[in-house]
Amino acid sequence: MYKSQNSRTNTAVRRLMTEYKQLINEAPDGISAGPIDEDNFFEWECLIQGPEDTPFEGGVFPATLTFPKDYPLSPPTMKFTCDMFHPNVYKDGTVCISILHAPGDDPNMYESASERWSPIQSVEKILISVMSMLAEPNDESGANIDACKVWRNDRAEYNRIVKANVRKTLGL
Amino acid sequence: MSDASDDFDDYDQGSEFDFEDESFGGSDYGDNEGFEEVKPESTKLKAYEVAHQVLSTADIQQRQDSQISQVASILGLSRESVTVLLLYFKWNNDRLLEQYTEDPEGILNKAGISADDDSKKREYKIKPVDGFMCDICCEDRPGLMTFALECDHRFCYDCYKQYITQKIMDEGESRNIQCPGDSCSLVVNNEGIRLIAEDRVYRRYLTLLNRTFVQDNEHLRWCPAPNCEYAIKCDDVSTKDLKTVVPTVQCACGYRFCFGCGLADHQPCICVLVKKWIKKCEDDSETANWISANTKECPKCMATIEKNGGCNHMTCRKCKYEFCWICIGSWAEHGTSWYNCSRYDEKSGVEARDNQAKSRASLERYLHYYNRYANHEQSAKLDKDLYLRTEKKMTQLQSTSGMSWIEVQYLAQASAVLQQCRQTLKWTYAFAFYLEQNNQTHLFEDNQKDLEMAVEQLSELFEKPIQELAGLKVTVMDKTAYVNNRRQILLEDTAKGLRDGRWWYQVEIK
Repeated sequence: MYKSQNSRTNTAVRRLMTEYKQLINEAPDGISAGPIDEDNFFEWECLIQGPEDTPFEGGVFPATLTFPKDYPLSPPTMKFTCDMFHPNVYKDGTVCISILHAPGDDPNMYESASERWSPIQSVEKILISVMSMLAEPNDESGANIDACKVWRNDRAEYNRIVKANVRKTLGL
Repeated sequence: MSDASDDFDDYDQGSEFDFEDESFGGSDYGDNEGFEEVKPESTKLKAYEVAHQVLSTADIQQRQDSQISQVASILGLSRESVTVLLLYFKWNNDRLLEQYTEDPEGILNKAGISADDDSKKREYKIKPVDGFMCDICCEDRPGLMTFALECDHRFCYDCYKQYITQKIMDEGESRNIQCPGDSCSLVVNNEGIRLIAEDRVYRRYLTLLNRTFVQDNEHLRWCPAPNCEYAIKCDDVSTKDLKTVVPTVQCACGYRFCFGCGLADHQPCICVLVKKWIKKCEDDSETANWISANTKECPKCMATIEKNGGCNHMTCRKCKYEFCWICIGSWAEHGTSWYNCSRYDEKSGVEARDNQAKSRASLERYLHYYNRYANHEQSAKLDKDLYLRTEKKMTQLQSTSGMSWIEVQYLAQASAVLQQCRQTLKWTYAFAFYLEQNNQTHLFEDNQKDLEMAVEQLSELFEKPIQELAGLKVTVMDKTAYVNNRRQILLEDTAKGLRDGRWWYQVEIK
């Protein structure tokens, strides 16, 4: 039992280290991520740039990624640590996106298994998905109902709130 | 007994069942090896019976195999690929062949089969590869066992196994287990699964495959009885026929159910009406009882009113109509002499009572049928009890009268017939509720009455004390035969009526 748990943790650490290395060597545009503390590879901090041509443009949004001990079998959880007003982000900052849902775990009962987490996904792919989620919210499975409503009915107001948040993250 | 329904290959299936209940006729499960064959009087099915076969898991497997071989020989592909194709096309041969001949490459692609698979058949192998690092766990020690499909998305054996196990055990997937590689749609076929998965996982995979085979085929249906593993094959009935037949089948486990809707035997009532009736009963029955006993309706707007106190001068909350609770007549006509309500013959009072009577009558009518239906249902619930008592009686009878086991079987027989008749009777009431009144309906009701009477008589005999029962063997047997006969007559006539469109319903049948 101990042994298998240990070997799982080892797998997770090995995999996370590899991903970390890859992210440093060939960092994709608009994304940076890494462990908060080199002694604990299960807590990462990441920064996402707001995509261009969206109200999020110009912002840099910090978030934490928390990995389970059986990573990559189970997906990490992601939580924005700044104010985030978005239909698919819960009010506490937790991101709700299909790639972060383990197969068999479908809170909204409509995702196909292929869109969800699989061990072949990676931190990089999660962050890219989250970036495109910022640009194109999915209001069919809202996590923040208020944000859904505003986004659908009053786009100007939505843009205003988002831009205010952008300024906040930049400390303006 | 020849089997008209077998359009598959000619293997002899069903030989492991020794189930044959000739008293109910038509249950054809093939030969009884080791027994002298019982020849039924007539090989022709009765009007209310449908040809069907019981298939065991082995039979289902065999059918799949033969279908796979058949298609494999036509298309010249490997069995594994054909299996994947058939799963993709939900075991629909014709559709598969048609679409495949039009666009073989496209279809292979869509179904998740590597196109060059069959020309130079690759053998799947779990093997170490030099300088390999698994993309999932990032393990790269030398000698690491790996696996990949034709697409060469290679992962280590442990990760692959984990992936397959999760797909099969947690997600219950069998039809479409794709390569774990990113956006690769190649399907891991039977051979791959067998190679990678543990025994218990592979067994589960095969069970799931069998399940999809039955679920995808409209001529097959699992027996819904608990723990029963047989499937029923019934070729002659399609969904659009369900308005005119009640395809009742009997599984080798003894359970009788409707092939059309999967509910327990509901002859002679057709599936649509059964659904309507069940819904109505769930919604209505108890409420209707209470309404009938405790309320009246406003004579003007028909709102249901419960009188919970006060005088007889009623004012409807809804339409403000004022009336007398006693005679339901308009209050205006009561003047000041309201207290003894002597206006029985007032015109409006009579009319109002007529209206009321009409709506009550429809309720009464429903309750009439419902009570009889519920009565038989209740009796059916007591069946288990009844049967246990029968068994006890049989042992008693054996010890007191010196009769042998085989000689007291008539009681078990009587019990079984009784149960079945109650089941049939129960549904005759639901059926009758929806029938339009005409001469045909009278015939139906006469048949129903005869059966009801016969059942009651048999039931009464059955309850007799044990000492008397021993002397009544012939009477019980006669009665049993008679009751069963009445049941067959009723079912026969109703089934013919359904076929000829003789019944008219009060509701629209879609």
